[in-house]
Amino acid sequence: KRGIFEGTIKFKLHKQANASLNSGIDLQEVVKLPHGEDRNDWIAVHVVDFFNRINMLYGTLCEYCTEQTCPTMSGGPKYDYYWCDGINYKKPTALPAPKYISNLMEWVEEQINDENIFPVKVGVPFPKNFTPTVKKILTRLFRVFVHVYIHHFDKLLALEAEAHVNTCFKHFYYFIKEFELVEKKELEPLREMTERMCHC
Amino acid sequence: MATVGEQTPVVSNHTKDKATKAKVTLENYYSNLLSQNEERENRYRLLEQSMEKEGLSDEQKNERRQQHATKETEFLRLKRSRLDIDDFSPIKVIGRGAFGEVRLVQKKDTGHVYAMKILRKQDMLDKDQVAHVRAERDVLVEADHQWVVKMYYSFQDAQNLYLIMEFLPGGDMMTLLMKKDTLTEEQTQFYVSETVLSIDSIHKLGFIHRDIKPDNLLLDAKGHIKLSDFGLCTGRKKSHRTDYYKDLSQAKAGDFCDYNKSSNPMDSKRRAESWKRNRRALAYSTVGTPDYIAPEVFLQTGYTSSCDWWSLGVIMYEMMIGYPPFCSENPQETYKKVMNWRDTLIFPPEMPISNEARDLIKKFCCDPEHRLGANGIEEIKSDIFFKGVDWEHIRERPAAIPVEVKSIDDTSNFDDFPEIDLKWPTYPEPQGQEAQDKDSKYKDWVFINYTYKRFEGLTQRGNPFPKS
Ligand SMILES: Nc1ncnc2c1ncn2[C@@H]1O[C@H](COP(=O)(O)OP(=O)(O)OP(=O)(O)O)[C@@H](O)[C@H]1O
Repeated sequence: KRGIFEGTIKFKLHKQANASLNSGIDLQEVVKLPHGEDRNDWIAVHVVDFFNRINMLYGTLCEYCTEQTCPTMSGGPKYDYYWCDGINYKKPTALPAPKYISNLMEWVEEQINDENIFPVKVGVPFPKNFTPTVKKILTRLFRVFVHVYIHHFDKLLALEAEAHVNTCFKHFYYFIKEFELVEKKELEPLREMTERMCHC
Repeated sequence: MATVGEQTPVVSNHTKDKATKAKVTLENYYSNLLSQNEERENRYRLLEQSMEKEGLSDEQKNERRQQHATKETEFLRLKRSRLDIDDFSPIKVIGRGAFGEVRLVQKKDTGHVYAMKILRKQDMLDKDQVAHVRAERDVLVEADHQWVVKMYYSFQDAQNLYLIMEFLPGGDMMTLLMKKDTLTEEQTQFYVSETVLSIDSIHKLGFIHRDIKPDNLLLDAKGHIKLSDFGLCTGRKKSHRTDYYKDLSQAKAGDFCDYNKSSNPMDSKRRAESWKRNRRALAYSTVGTPDYIAPEVFLQTGYTSSCDWWSLGVIMYEMMIGYPPFCSENPQETYKKVMNWRDTLIFPPEMPISNEARDLIKKFCCDPEHRLGANGIEEIKSDIFFKGVDWEHIRERPAAIPVEVKSIDDTSNFDDFPEIDLKWPTYPEPQGQEAQDKDSKYKDWVFINYTYKRFEGLTQRGNPFPKS
C-alpha cells in the first residue's frame, strides 16, 4: 500500500480548478466539531459521507479510467501508489488505477460496514484503533482525488462536474485539516492546487 | 500520461446519466448540509432559550446540555445505520393505490409499528410518475404537524422506494364512506371542518394538493383526519409542475355530448350502489378518478390553491348524498361532467340536505373567482354551515365517529388484500450481472437523496461501488 514516489518533473494541473458550488455554505466552518458532540461520532459520519460521495464521483469517470488509459495508479509522474491489503495483496503491488481504486473502495466499504470499527448501536463505544483506521481510510480516499484531478480533470470539465468535485474536495480538505487525519506528505501531489483553492 | 492537449472526450449517454445523477446528488447534499447545520444550531438555541425561561440552575443547565448533546450524537449514529426491508417484519397489507401498496410493518429492533408504502420504481418510470414521487417526498418532509401524516424514514433498493410513515389505524375516508350509506349533517360538519384545517396547513407551506379525495383522508386512532398522499402536489419546485391531465383535456375538451338525456337517470340509491361497487377499482387504477379534480386544473390556463376547496366540495357532496356529483360510467364521462359542472351539479330531490350544506357545496364547487376560500381560510371558517365548530380545539375533542382500535396494530378498519403475498416482494434480477449498473434503465438519480433526514430519522449509505 505504500506510495512510492518517483520522477522529478514538476507536474502541474493544466487547467486551474476554481469553480465551486454556490451553496452559501462555509465549508471550513461546518466541519468543526459542534458544541458537546462526540469527536469520533462526528468523524465517523463524515467518513461515511465522504466515501459515498467520492465513490460516486469516481463512478462517473470509470468509462475513462481503464487499464489502458491508466496502467498504473499514479498521481502525476512523481507519485505511484502500490496496493497492499495484507490478504489478497500481501506485498505492495503495482496495479492499474481502476483496479487499485476498486480495491480501495471495497476495502473502505468493508471498514465502514464493520460495526466493530464503526459502531452503529447507541452506546457502543468506538474501538481503540478507530483513529488510525480512519486516517488510513482518508489517506486512501485522498489518493482518488489525486488521481482524478491529475489524470481526469479534462473529463470533469467535459461533464461539467468541476464545481461539484471541487466543492467536495474542499470540504474533504478542510475536514482532514481540522482533525489532522492525513499526513502532510500525502497531500503533496495536490499541494499547489490546494493552496490556491482553499487559501491555505 | 499527461492529459494536456488531449481531445475533449466524447461523453457516452451512460456516463452522462451517471454524471447527472452524481451532480444532482451533490447539489442536494450541499444544500441539505446548510440547512442541517442551521437546524442543529437552532435546536441548541431553543434549548438555551427554554432553559433561560425556566430559570434553571447552572447545574441543571449543564445536565440538560449533556442530554441534548447525547441526543444529537444518537442522531449521528442513526444517520450511519442503514435500513432495508429486512429491518421490518410485514404484518398485513392494508392498502393499495395506483403505484404501490401499503403495509402494516413492525421495526424489528424497536417493535414500533408503521405503515410502509412500497412504490415500484419501474412502474413509476413507465407511467411518468417521477415528479409525483419527488413531490410526495418533498411535502411529507416539510410538513410536520398534526394534520399531515408523519413520515419517518425512507429508503430504496433496486426495485422499490419505501416510505415508512406513521400508521393511522382508523382507515381512510373512502372505506368509511363505502361502509356508510351517507353521513349525517353533524358528522359531515366534523370531517369537512377537519379537512379544511388540514388543507389549509399544506397551503400555508406553499403547496397545492390538487388531488384531495377520500382515499387520501386518513383517520387516526381517535377518528381525526390526517392528509396523506401528496402525489400530485404542486409547489415551489420544478418537478411538481408536470401536468398529468394534458392529454386527457386535449383529447376531450369541447366534446360535450348530451349524456344527461341519453343515459337513463338512475335514482340516487342505485347510483350510490353502483358507485360503491366500482369505487375500489377506481382507487387502484393508474388513470385515477377525475371525480374530485377541479375543472380549472384540467385546463392549461392555470389554477391556484383554491382548487383544493373544489375537491372538498365534491367530497362533502359524496358524504351527504352517497356518491360524488359527477360520477359516471368512465373517467371520460366524469371529466365532461366536471367541465360542464354548471349543468351537472344537481342535488337529487329524494336526498334532501339542509340549505346550509347545499349552499356550502355550491360555494366550493363553482368557478375559481367566486369560490369560497379564494380569499383565505377565514371566509370558510365563518360560513354558516360551520356554526358551532370549535376550530381551535376540534382535534382534541371526540371525533364524530369514534374509532375503535384495540391495539397499536389493529387493522380491523382496513380491507383485506388476501391476493397479495405478505412476503417481501422480490423481482427478477435484471438480465446479466452488469444489468444493474447499466442504470439508464432505472435512472436511479431521480431517487437518490430520496432518503429523508428527520431528526428522529435516518439516512442511508449510498450505492455500492459501481463495478464496470
Ligand atoms: N399512513 C397510513 N396509515 C394507514 N393506512 C394508510 C396509510 N397510508 C396509506 N394507507 C392506506 O393505503 C391506501 C392507499 O394509500 P395511498 O393512497 O397513499 O396509495 P397510492 O399508491 O399513493 O394511491 P394513489 O396515488 O392512487 O392515491 C389508503 O387509501 C389507506 O387506506
